[in-house]
Amino acid sequence: MNHNLFPGFIGLSAALFAIGAVGVLVRRNPIVVFMCIELMLNAGNLALIAFGRFTHTMDGQVFALIVITVAASEVVVGLALITGVFRSGRGLDVDELSEMRE
Amino acid sequence: MDAATVRLLVAGILGLPTLGFLVVTLGGTLVPRRVVRLLGPGVIVGAFACVVLLTVGVLERAPADRSITVTLWHWLSLGGKHGGFGATFNVLVDPLSLVMMGVITGVGGLIHIYSVGYMAEDRGFNRFFAYMNFFITSMLVLVLSANLVFLIIGWAMVAFASYALIAFWYERPTAVAAGRKAFITQVIGDVGLVLAAFLIFLNLRGRSGNLLHTVDFATIFANVGPGAHFHNGLGPAGSGLVTVIGLLLFAGAAAKSAQWPLHTWLPDAMEGPTPVSALIHAATMVTAGVYLVCRFHPIFEQAPTAGAVVAVIGMGTALMAAIIGCTQFDIKRVIAYSTMSQIGLMIFSAGIGAYSAAIFQLVAHAFFKALLFMAAGNVIHGIGGEQDIRQMGGLRRRLRFTYPAFAVGTLALSGIPLFAGWFSKEELLGNGLVLGPATPWLWVAGVVVNVLTSFYSFRVLWVTFHGEAHGEEASKAHEAPRVMVGPVLVLAALAALFGFTNIDFGTFHPITIVATFLAPVFGPIARVPAPGVALLALLVGTALSMGGLGLAFLVYGRQAIARDLVPRRAPWVYQLSLQKFYWDEVYDAMLARPMVGLATACRRVIEPGVFNGAVDGVRSAVQTLADDFRTFQSGLLRDYALVFFVFAVIGLLVLGLHLT
Repeated sequence: MNHNLFPGFIGLSAALFAIGAVGVLVRRNPIVVFMCIELMLNAGNLALIAFGRFTHTMDGQVFALIVITVAASEVVVGLALITGVFRSGRGLDVDELSEMRE
Repeated sequence: MDAATVRLLVAGILGLPTLGFLVVTLGGTLVPRRVVRLLGPGVIVGAFACVVLLTVGVLERAPADRSITVTLWHWLSLGGKHGGFGATFNVLVDPLSLVMMGVITGVGGLIHIYSVGYMAEDRGFNRFFAYMNFFITSMLVLVLSANLVFLIIGWAMVAFASYALIAFWYERPTAVAAGRKAFITQVIGDVGLVLAAFLIFLNLRGRSGNLLHTVDFATIFANVGPGAHFHNGLGPAGSGLVTVIGLLLFAGAAAKSAQWPLHTWLPDAMEGPTPVSALIHAATMVTAGVYLVCRFHPIFEQAPTAGAVVAVIGMGTALMAAIIGCTQFDIKRVIAYSTMSQIGLMIFSAGIGAYSAAIFQLVAHAFFKALLFMAAGNVIHGIGGEQDIRQMGGLRRRLRFTYPAFAVGTLALSGIPLFAGWFSKEELLGNGLVLGPATPWLWVAGVVVNVLTSFYSFRVLWVTFHGEAHGEEASKAHEAPRVMVGPVLVLAALAALFGFTNIDFGTFHPITIVATFLAPVFGPIARVPAPGVALLALLVGTALSMGGLGLAFLVYGRQAIARDLVPRRAPWVYQLSLQKFYWDEVYDAMLARPMVGLATACRRVIEPGVFNGAVDGVRSAVQTLADDFRTFQSGLLRDYALVFFVFAVIGLLVLGLHLT
């Protein structure tokens, strides 16, 4: 890999991460928020693999695999929660889910 | 007798009452009454048998070799720079502790048998025997201990047993109050004893001037006392330290033995069942103070000032209690004041250094006073619980065994010749002629005590048993059951005959079994009166005691002298005696009421102002702060995420700046 491409990978990763973060902050649909979180995780994965390649070690790829595993687990739990909330008869709006404040 | 046998017997003496206590306590009401009837007195009688065997074994040894220390177990051992500190449970078997054990288990066993009858109807039968056995264990720990630590443990345990037994009928508020009063007074004394123990522990020096830091009696006494082979381990004779230790020890003794100014609990303690009065408040626990002074005699010999204070307070208490005894109407209270008075004489004797006379009086007193209490218990039992002697009268025809027993007890208490009290009291007072402070005036006071004693004793005898019955109950009185009469008669025999073991008034009768037996512990007495003087004192004292008897006969028997002569002619004397010298009122005004006032002031002012204010302030501050923080919690996920991101970015920036 051409080392000159390295700043590009990192820049792409940062951009994806920022898009994901903004999405989490501004969107109200929990499924979209969820997708934004996935986007941030994968931005992180991209950065890890790029660093791994840059330093000629396997650490980055190993980390990425672990992150993918965590993301998969998170999807299981998160989608179950969203389904549960939907079944309880409330709309899919994260701003409505604020009972824990009291 | 070899060491293993001694150890076994000591284990039996301490273990049997403990066994009885544990079985009845842990079994509670599951243990049937007929088992407790046998077990309760049985363990004490068994312990008495062990004491007898042990005494026989000790008598086989040479007199100088009769002090045996048995290590039961190592209770506490701490390392340290100076050899550390250890308190093993050492038991000291010597003539003094043997005499005490004999009284505790012998008289105690008789009283336990008596209690089977006296408490037969009581709901708390099992609880009563559990407490009584516990008391015997505690008292044995007290007299057997060979070091200060276990002495203090036993000292506190008997106070608790006394509290539990005075307040035995816990439905009666007066009984509970009396128990509390006794316990609090005892604790005041405990403080004195503990402080004395600390001072000995901290200051005792060995022969080479090194600090010993020991609690062991043998080591302490070997380094304190006067004599050629001793040195002054607590400073020279009469120094401030040893005097303070003596006075603190006496504070403990005074609380335990009901001596002024810690005496007011004893008459109130009569709220307990009568066997308790006989066992704890006449025969054993109240004499523990006398035992303490006698046990620590090397210290008192080094501190003549403390000894003089002990003697004067003992005689003063004896005189005061004898005056009070003349006007009381409750039969048990009269006997309680006579106990206080007789123990005053013992304390006096111990204070002037006539230790074996004090111990002899202790034993004789245990016999005749337990006898009087138990006979009084028969009277109270026979007339349905009445204790006021004005409601009695004419009981001699109805209580045909109790009456002669009570009469023997009265004769012994009054010091009528050939009864136990005569031998003990005359020996004790005779020493007052040559020993102690203010000779011979304390002897004169002692003779006055004797006259008053025989006066009030016979007053009770006449008013209770002679004349006409003054109440409906008194005319229907019935004799107590055999289990109660038996022990009373045994004690009557002892009270009549025990004196013959110690015929010695200043060496002109050499049959001195008790004094000879105790001699290895106490050593020879410092001085005895010349035989002629002693004989004269004996004759005068005896004649005056008989005079007290005669006076009581004239007033209450023949009624030749009007009963209200003193109340009419000298009402203040009568009131002083009737109101018990107003000590309860004085303590109430000096201690109780200021304390209650202070507590009320605290409740009214300090409690709402300071404590409630502080607590409320903390609470409202926390609430205000919590209300402020709550506004951060919007409940919106985006807010939390934003805060998280912002701080994550700040953190990364800081990290980046730090790394570059």
